[in-house]
Amino acid sequence: MKFIHLVLKSARRSKRRTALTMLSVAVAVFLFAALRAVLDGFAAVAAASSATRIVTIRSTSLIFSMPTSHADVIRNTPGVQDVTWANWFGGIYKDPSNFFAQIAIEPESYLRMYPEILVSPEEKRAFLDDRTGCLVGDGLAKRFGWKVGDRIVLQPGIPNYGSQDYPFTIRGIYRSGGSNVDNQSMLFQWKYADERSDPKAQIGWLVSQVSNPDRAVEVANLVDQKFANSPYETKTETEQAFSAQFASMIGNLNLLLGSVALAVILTTLFVAGNTMAMSVRERTTEIAVMRTLGYPAATIFLLIVGEGLLVAVVGGALGGAAARVLIRGEFLGITGGFIPAFGVNNWNVIVGLGLSAMIGILAAVIPATLASRLRIVDALRQVA
Amino acid sequence: MGLIANYNLRSMIVRKATAAMTAMGIAMVVAVFVMTMAIAQGFRGALVASGSNENAIVLRKGATSETVSAVLRPQLPIIEALPQIARGPDGHPLASPELVVIISLPRASDNHPANVPVRGVGPRAFEIRNTLNFVEGRRFTPGMREINVGKQAVGRFKGLTLGSDVRFGNAAWTVVGIFTAADASFESEVWGDVDLMMPAFQRGGYQSVTVKLTDPSAFESLAAAIGADPRLDLKPQPERDYYEAQSSVTGTLIRIFATFVTAILSIGAVFGAMNTMYAAVAYRTREIGTLRALGFSRLRIVTAFLAESVALALIGGMIGCGLALPVHGLSTGAMNMVSFSELAFKFRITPGLLAGGLFFSAVMGAVGGLLPAIRAARIPVARALREI
Repeated sequence: MKFIHLVLKSARRSKRRTALTMLSVAVAVFLFAALRAVLDGFAAVAAASSATRIVTIRSTSLIFSMPTSHADVIRNTPGVQDVTWANWFGGIYKDPSNFFAQIAIEPESYLRMYPEILVSPEEKRAFLDDRTGCLVGDGLAKRFGWKVGDRIVLQPGIPNYGSQDYPFTIRGIYRSGGSNVDNQSMLFQWKYADERSDPKAQIGWLVSQVSNPDRAVEVANLVDQKFANSPYETKTETEQAFSAQFASMIGNLNLLLGSVALAVILTTLFVAGNTMAMSVRERTTEIAVMRTLGYPAATIFLLIVGEGLLVAVVGGALGGAAARVLIRGEFLGITGGFIPAFGVNNWNVIVGLGLSAMIGILAAVIPATLASRLRIVDALRQVA
Repeated sequence: MGLIANYNLRSMIVRKATAAMTAMGIAMVVAVFVMTMAIAQGFRGALVASGSNENAIVLRKGATSETVSAVLRPQLPIIEALPQIARGPDGHPLASPELVVIISLPRASDNHPANVPVRGVGPRAFEIRNTLNFVEGRRFTPGMREINVGKQAVGRFKGLTLGSDVRFGNAAWTVVGIFTAADASFESEVWGDVDLMMPAFQRGGYQSVTVKLTDPSAFESLAAAIGADPRLDLKPQPERDYYEAQSSVTGTLIRIFATFVTAILSIGAVFGAMNTMYAAVAYRTREIGTLRALGFSRLRIVTAFLAESVALALIGGMIGCGLALPVHGLSTGAMNMVSFSELAFKFRITPGLLAGGLFFSAVMGAVGGLLPAIRAARIPVARALREI
């Protein structure tokens, strides 16, 4: 600790260089935290997904629908407590670029089974009472400046829903109470879309509540067995497994973001290592004087590593703090519903700080080793 | 300029360790830039290659993709009868009614289910898409439950090898041929007889009709003819435009990601270059003083140091391009947000992209070198000469 003064002194020797190095480490940590936040956002969806809800889709793929009679069969499966269903609507609001998720839900059971959808009792009542009513997420409402009572019109995007426009009245604005529910969607009554759809009584996916989470997989298999060899075979999985697979469909994000993160770290290592080498080279004479005065080689080594560590960690803290403040879904408004809870969290910042410490130490090790091994006579003779 | 250029070049060699580290920092940034952009280009390239100038795709009015389009069966003969559509040697119109659905198959790499597009096509499809080339087996026989599989799909998903049976739509389909399509998105698809696929997937109609035009210029009159017929609520699009639009959502997403990452990363590298150049200027204060005393103007000093920095960055840029090159041609996959299915494509590094990477590195060098170069030029001669 008594050497902290010396470390600070040498870091201040060239203020501009120290500042530039700090900033490059800050940038690296910022980027790293942002990349981690994307991966964590996807992981959070799976982690927050319920272990007692299982999702049933058609085994062929999720674009195919099944008859409503499936719901009755599933309701009578042992271990199933509650069942709801939903359909993807895929409508267009004014222009295809205004994309957001619209889900036709069986309203009462859906809101009962998703307590994460937070909506006031009055708004919920108003929504249930209006066949053409809808609930929108607060993020979506903000995006288009919608209020309760507004009328919106969707043009059907999928041929099954006919070609006439669907008018809706916003009856409520919901908030998300969990990372698995995004606030960028619109929910409306399944009946409304079904009235005009051809074929009728079709559902896209079913969600069932199982009484015992330990038996979820077993119940899921039981459900699939009931529809085996029927024209509408199903595939049932826990909501958790379903969300995890959904993320993996987008592409190999782990590999892509992982390689970018590696490149970020390497780039910063080159920059920081270079600075440390320069800083040490400049002080060759000074170091020799210190050695002459009796400072052991080990102390010289520690002083230089300490300087690298200090510069990198201060930079890392700056970058981490900036990322924590700037990279937030609400601030950027870019989640689009794919990552409901997108943002840099404290853990990302801590990992980033650890990383910056590692960069600082690694960058300083070679110059520090060289400096501690300097022969005093050679060093004193040298002119920088 | 000769002397001073030589001087700067040799100073770089003297400080080879520092120069190498700076160049490597820039190399990493350029490598990331080229690789991520290669993904965007590969993705777009696969879709654009699917479209041909000679073809048009007919969709429902207002439909932005095949999956949300519908063409009724009785509309097909009306389209086929149009004079703008080319005829085969036997006099039959070259039109293929098609249906695209997504089936779920386990991915070979991680066993997770992936969305694989299955395309039901008419018997003329192979004459319309003439880039298709069978590498194994043969075309499916119309009326038989046989399928052809694109080369990229064979490796990516389980159970699509020649001779194997694939179950979907409550029936087993035999893989009888594997095709390539000049890197087009068709290589990620499974093709079969549209008239068997429709009942298998409980669909009552087609989604699109792809036609070969008698001549690319016939498109305008085809659009007019279809627009004028009240029985057709359809609209043709040049096939190339259609596929280009299909790449826009995911392509833009990848491009935004690449720009975001490289922009931030380049800030770090520029700081690194700045550090190096400041140090270079500081070490050489005395030399700069000498040059100024000899009569070299401030402008010459600025350009010389700027040139040194740019040269250093360009070396880094070249190394970065070199590091990125091995990924060219590697296959990868990404979800196409428009069709909601997985598209396999190859990383694509074009000479233009490499030039872009080099230009980018030169810009980083110039930005990083500018302030130190100005500082070098501002050094007062008398003081500089006095320095050790």
